[in-house]
Amino acid sequence: MRCISGRIVEAYIGEYASGKSEVAVNRALLLAARGRRVNLVDLDIVEPCYTLRPLKKKLAEMGINVVAWETREMMGLGETGSIFYPANRWALRFPGDVILDIGYGVEGARTLNLVEGAATDPDLKIFAVVNVGRPMTGSVQEIVEYVRSLGRVDGLINNSHLGDETTVEFVQDGARMVDEAARQLGVPVVATTVLEELARVIGTRDAAGHPVWPIKRFMPHALW
Amino acid sequence: MPDKPIEGEKRVFMTGNEVVAWAALAAGADIMYGYPITPQNEIMHYWTRLAPRYGREFLQTEDELSAGFTTCGGVLAGRKAFTATAGPGNTLMQEPMSMAEAMRLPTVVVIQQRGGPSTATVIYSQQEVTMTTLGGNGEGLRIVYSTANHQELFDYTIKAFNTAWKYRFPTFVLGDGYQAKMRESLTIYDPAIRGIELVQAEPFLGKPGVPGVDRPPTQLRNTYNVEEELYEVLEGYFKDYEKIAPEVAEHEAFGLEDAELVVVSHGVVSRACKAAVKELREEGVRVGYFRPITLRPLPVKALRETAEKVGKFLVVESAQGQLARLLKEAAFGCPVEMLELFKPGVGITAEDVVSRVKEITG
Repeated sequence: MRCISGRIVEAYIGEYASGKSEVAVNRALLLAARGRRVNLVDLDIVEPCYTLRPLKKKLAEMGINVVAWETREMMGLGETGSIFYPANRWALRFPGDVILDIGYGVEGARTLNLVEGAATDPDLKIFAVVNVGRPMTGSVQEIVEYVRSLGRVDGLINNSHLGDETTVEFVQDGARMVDEAARQLGVPVVATTVLEELARVIGTRDAAGHPVWPIKRFMPHALW
Repeated sequence: MPDKPIEGEKRVFMTGNEVVAWAALAAGADIMYGYPITPQNEIMHYWTRLAPRYGREFLQTEDELSAGFTTCGGVLAGRKAFTATAGPGNTLMQEPMSMAEAMRLPTVVVIQQRGGPSTATVIYSQQEVTMTTLGGNGEGLRIVYSTANHQELFDYTIKAFNTAWKYRFPTFVLGDGYQAKMRESLTIYDPAIRGIELVQAEPFLGKPGVPGVDRPPTQLRNTYNVEEELYEVLEGYFKDYEKIAPEVAEHEAFGLEDAELVVVSHGVVSRACKAAVKELREEGVRVGYFRPITLRPLPVKALRETAEKVGKFLVVESAQGQLARLLKEAAFGCPVEMLELFKPGVGITAEDVVSRVKEITG
């Protein structure tokens, strides 16, 4: 685990429904719980605030600055396009840590082109979240091809799961596959994210020797 | 020869729209004609990412009128063609789908319902029941499957192609925005390993042989000069439809033996109703559950038997009585009281249904 002292800036990218928002929310909560000042930025430009909408209030009460539209403030959803939330453009100027949830996924790391200073921020790390239960990233080769299409990627996160049917075995299989893909891509595996109950069984390191980050599920309370 | 999209079977975690794309691949669909509209865009996105690997095609059209007509065209050329749409796109599809009804074309269309009328919301509703079952300027000679979960989206999308090509009526898979975007696990499979034989497509036009000599001439018509001609053709269609209705109709039900009230619902709302009825029955409330899986043709026999036996329906839907209207026609003459829980465009929870049943039963 990296030493947490300096400013933390992490952008979560990846396949649609790979778990970017779940990981981002949990990460923000972990940092906030350690007394850090945290900004959680909703950078979904196709389905803005769909995942964060019902959680926004709860997260704000925990002291997290949630940078996202209120649905009622917005005009036009879905195919009619949306207006980029003005504060998002300056998200990297907020004091404290910045967790960027690049929702929907289709533009990969390129969505960060909309954020001032993303190209030069010294602390920014871009992590690709991978769930091998998603058929488009269900094999090492597919993961490698997919991650290569995303643009800049600084690390992978194994978020392999099957929703309510997740088993330790499945998570570990994912850990091994993501580890091999990372090797081929020449990037590190940052962590395996897994439900707390299963994390207790797996321990602090996954089958490939990478850190385990226990998470709680918040997304079932989201719109989708 | 491209590989099969799915070898054997596999447990996966997907969004509903993706499931449709994978199922269409598994069903051997040759081409998708698509036009974007929320909340079904990802069907097109996943199809276009996957299709090239398996030698399938895609054409983006200029609007839904065109998407519907090109689907008709694809089918006429003997291809397993499909499209997907929602809301105002579904409204536009009524013209091409009327032609499909007129010419008995085995088109497959996936509808992911959103709020109505007009542009309303991009999110969810069950407000396209009337339009999907009885739309266009025809007589409702359509087959409509209303799915409730991702496994069914997969199973019934495959079935839709088989049903369409076997019986030659425009066939629809009716989902909704929640099903489209929700994430669930399911088993995707190669139909062959489940003993599902894929009905072969065949061209309507360009058949071999000399017309009138080797085979009857192909005459595809959606227009007639004389009323009596139209009448004769339609009479033939009605006979065909009535004949296949009992084979095609599907439903699921439980708790009817001792029920004093039956909760009737379809699609994703039936999940909440199922949970509610189970909970209520555990408390000793004499309530049953009935869910038509086909909205066209409705499982009329089972519905009427239930209506006769129980005499009280609570119709639960995210629309202002679109399902109820169909049920009333099917149950006409049966002494059944029709109560309602209508929430147009809004999701319905098990708690909502439990409250309403308790309000009724006292």
